[in-house]
Amino acid sequence: MLIAKIIMKFKGKITELLKKIGANREEVVVKVNGKVVPEICELEGDEEVEIIRVVADV
Amino acid sequence: MFSVKCSLCKKDGAVYLPYMKKVLCEGHFVNFFEKRVFRTVREFKMIRKGERIAVGYSGGKDSTVLLHILSKLRKTHPFELFAITVDVGIPGYSDRLVEVAREECKKLGVEHRVVYFKKELGFTTADIYKSGRSPCSYCGVFRRRLLNVAAREEKADKLAIAHTLDDVAQTVLMNIMRNEPLRLVRLVEPVVDEEAFVPRIKPLLRTPEKEVVQYALIKNLPFQTKGCPGMRVAFRHEIRKMLNALEEKHPGTKLKILNSFLSMERLMRKGLEGEELRIGKCKICKEPSSTEVCMFCKRKEEISSSRVITGC
Repeated sequence: MLIAKIIMKFKGKITELLKKIGANREEVVVKVNGKVVPEICELEGDEEVEIIRVVADV
Repeated sequence: MFSVKCSLCKKDGAVYLPYMKKVLCEGHFVNFFEKRVFRTVREFKMIRKGERIAVGYSGGKDSTVLLHILSKLRKTHPFELFAITVDVGIPGYSDRLVEVAREECKKLGVEHRVVYFKKELGFTTADIYKSGRSPCSYCGVFRRRLLNVAAREEKADKLAIAHTLDDVAQTVLMNIMRNEPLRLVRLVEPVVDEEAFVPRIKPLLRTPEKEVVQYALIKNLPFQTKGCPGMRVAFRHEIRKMLNALEEKHPGTKLKILNSFLSMERLMRKGLEGEELRIGKCKICKEPSSTEVCMFCKRKEEISSSRVITGC
């Protein structure tokens, strides 16, 4: 298990952001401004987004 | 942010469940998550009232969540609960896990025992790593043995393991791909007459790993977030990647694998002779084993003969 946080700003759907960075939806949890959110949310660009890996990469 | 509302109330959604096409707010998700674990415990008759249940508690996310849920369950369904942590001896990693485990058990009022590789085996996972071997296959075998022995010494009726839906779905596929039907059949319910073997239960059997993390984050549970530095499980990792890719494309795949396995497992049990499924005793250590010499003794012998560890 590994939780690696990437904090970034992005405008658009979270699912698009995940695609852009090559993350599988099943392997990450997304937090926006410190709260766990559904990946189907849309970001306005001024939020603090954390992408947390839920599985270890080997 | 343009939030999405909970499918059950008007609150902001926290978790999307693609296999149900539903969004749940924090409260409804926590409720859904806990109920599913409680239902799983009932479905497989995992815990009976008054039983003494040991939890294999590493301090990682899965076992932390399991300990919290079982601790909650015992309030309405009385049973004894205690935790066992195995310190595998990886500097800067195991010590933190043990520390988290101690703190949580104290907070929850759960009895806690720590078992050390160094004391019980004479070497640690760090030593195995130094010897140039892939540590996971050794560490897993040793941990399972020490957990079973500690649970038995503590007179546990069952040993709860935090295997999630992901772990089980991966194991099912791995056993099929390795052509190990007997291991497959023993996955959920081993056939053991031996009193030396503490029956294992997997209350998170129907719970996806991702939701375990979501639950832990929402409930603000403290857990070790650092990955094991010695992790080298190439085949399982490949299967995990493949399953996650399938799950993303076809939500519900992991659950379907589990359900198919449970249906097949009943039929396979009927088709196999009792003796084939039965677990005997290792001729060296006399502990439960499906082979003449158990994996623990084989692995221990390999490690004991290693020059790095013995210092020869």
